[in-house]
Amino acid sequence: MELPWVLLALAGTGVAADLARLPYVPHVPPMALLGKVTATTFALERPRCVFDGHADASDAVWLAVAFANAAHPPPVPSASGAFRNPQSQAEVPPYKELPTARSYMTLETAAAAYSCSAQSPPVLRVGGDTACREQGRQDPCNGPLPSPGPYRVKFLLMGCRGPKAETLWSEPILLRTALSPSTIDPAPARPGSALVVIASILASLGAVLATAVLGALGAKVWGSLCHQGLGTDTFIRRSYRTHHIPPALPQPLPPGCGCSPPGLCQSAPQSPAPCQRIMEQFGLDGTIKGPPRFNPPATGRDSFN
Amino acid sequence: MAKSDDCVHILQGLLVFGNVVIGLCGIALTAECIYVVSNSDGPYPLLKATENRDIHAAAWIGIFVGLALFALSILGIIGVVRASRTLLLVYIILMLITFAFEMASCITAATHQDSLTPNLFLKQMLERYQKSDPNKNSDNEVTKTWDELMRQNHCCGVNGPSDWQDYTSAFRLTHSDADYPWPRMCCVLDAQGSPVNLDGCKLGVSGYYNSNGCYDAISGPVNAHTWGVAWFGFAILCWTFCVLLGTMFYWSGIEY
Repeated sequence: MELPWVLLALAGTGVAADLARLPYVPHVPPMALLGKVTATTFALERPRCVFDGHADASDAVWLAVAFANAAHPPPVPSASGAFRNPQSQAEVPPYKELPTARSYMTLETAAAAYSCSAQSPPVLRVGGDTACREQGRQDPCNGPLPSPGPYRVKFLLMGCRGPKAETLWSEPILLRTALSPSTIDPAPARPGSALVVIASILASLGAVLATAVLGALGAKVWGSLCHQGLGTDTFIRRSYRTHHIPPALPQPLPPGCGCSPPGLCQSAPQSPAPCQRIMEQFGLDGTIKGPPRFNPPATGRDSFN
Repeated sequence: MAKSDDCVHILQGLLVFGNVVIGLCGIALTAECIYVVSNSDGPYPLLKATENRDIHAAAWIGIFVGLALFALSILGIIGVVRASRTLLLVYIILMLITFAFEMASCITAATHQDSLTPNLFLKQMLERYQKSDPNKNSDNEVTKTWDELMRQNHCCGVNGPSDWQDYTSAFRLTHSDADYPWPRMCCVLDAQGSPVNLDGCKLGVSGYYNSNGCYDAISGPVNAHTWGVAWFGFAILCWTFCVLLGTMFYWSGIEY
């Protein structure tokens, strides 16, 4: 006999709590998709198997989108907090009234598309339909979102008599904001290493070459000036050994100079130095210049006479 | 004496060899710079649009420097073999002038290479791609070059398709973000030129769009030209420096 009471209690609860709160949280798909959030659209993972058990064949699942107003302090209610489920098809807030009503509903789809066995793409794109915005149709319009948001969304299962089930609100979804290209600075941050290497090495090479040429030319000019001074000017610019020969009788040659019998020379050991001096005095040591030939320039004097 | 003669002969031989190398390198430099000046395909319209013609100036200088190096190397060989002070002095002075010009060309080319940053191309692309201004022909050139670049190299934008999302652009003014997160050329196209999967391309599903940036495809050929002019010229100058030092040493040792 408890069964009729149980049925009545169940019927009572069914009438009073006709809106099931499903524990599903809509979210942006976790996989790496470059376009899952753009400036005017975003993507949601398709809820699978969420509405099974609550949906009939004729029911439709809507997506409610509302401004999150996360920045506002608590006394100002957020649009998602102020969102009231429409009780019938006619009360569904359309896309056009998003700026004023701060929320709208879109993406009306048959509940069968969200069932476990449905073969459908794993991602829903919100804001992908640009045609309905211009035409201003009254149908649910999945038009591009006008501002970066942030937005919160939830799925709402609507039957013939009103909403039957709803999911939880999502986390705030912030869309991308594009910068102006005038903020791009095309200049390189610092000079590249190649430029520094080339410029520094080339500058040093050029400086060395210029110094070497100037040095060589300067030495040549210096040498030619010294050469002229020696010929015509009595001003002595470099040390010049004078050969003073006193007017004296020629001395007998010391023993050991040019002596032929070798045995006699060995008793006089002091020979080479005086011989050498006399040979130098008379220029007899062979310093005769031949045809022009190359000499390493040990000093400036040697090469420029 | 014999040793000194040997040293002289060795030095003469080295200088002749050095001048031969300079002559050959001069010819090569001329040929390369003619190629750089005349090569106008590839990403060249993008360079022209940046209005930076430094690489052209550097290449023109390189042509004449190369010819001068060839002529001076012949003069140098004759001067070394005949041990003539006058010829070698003329050679050294003219070589210094050529050295200075080539230095200018190298540094100009290196500066130009430095200035071609990704941001430069990014800004140009955002401001000019698909600008649809019928008066400015250069913008059409930029659009056509970018389309060709993206189609052939399977790339998108300078750093990637996110360039079109991170910045507003002339393209964005005429193409809505919802329909064209990035240009159609960034999608993988079939043989007829239409996207294989347009929704996949808009969402950024890998396999249906080109995720690489085009900067490598641009900078590759441009860098090849610039490096050719700058670094080859630098190598020639280093070699010329050694030969010039040897020639000056040789010249200062010649006696009248």
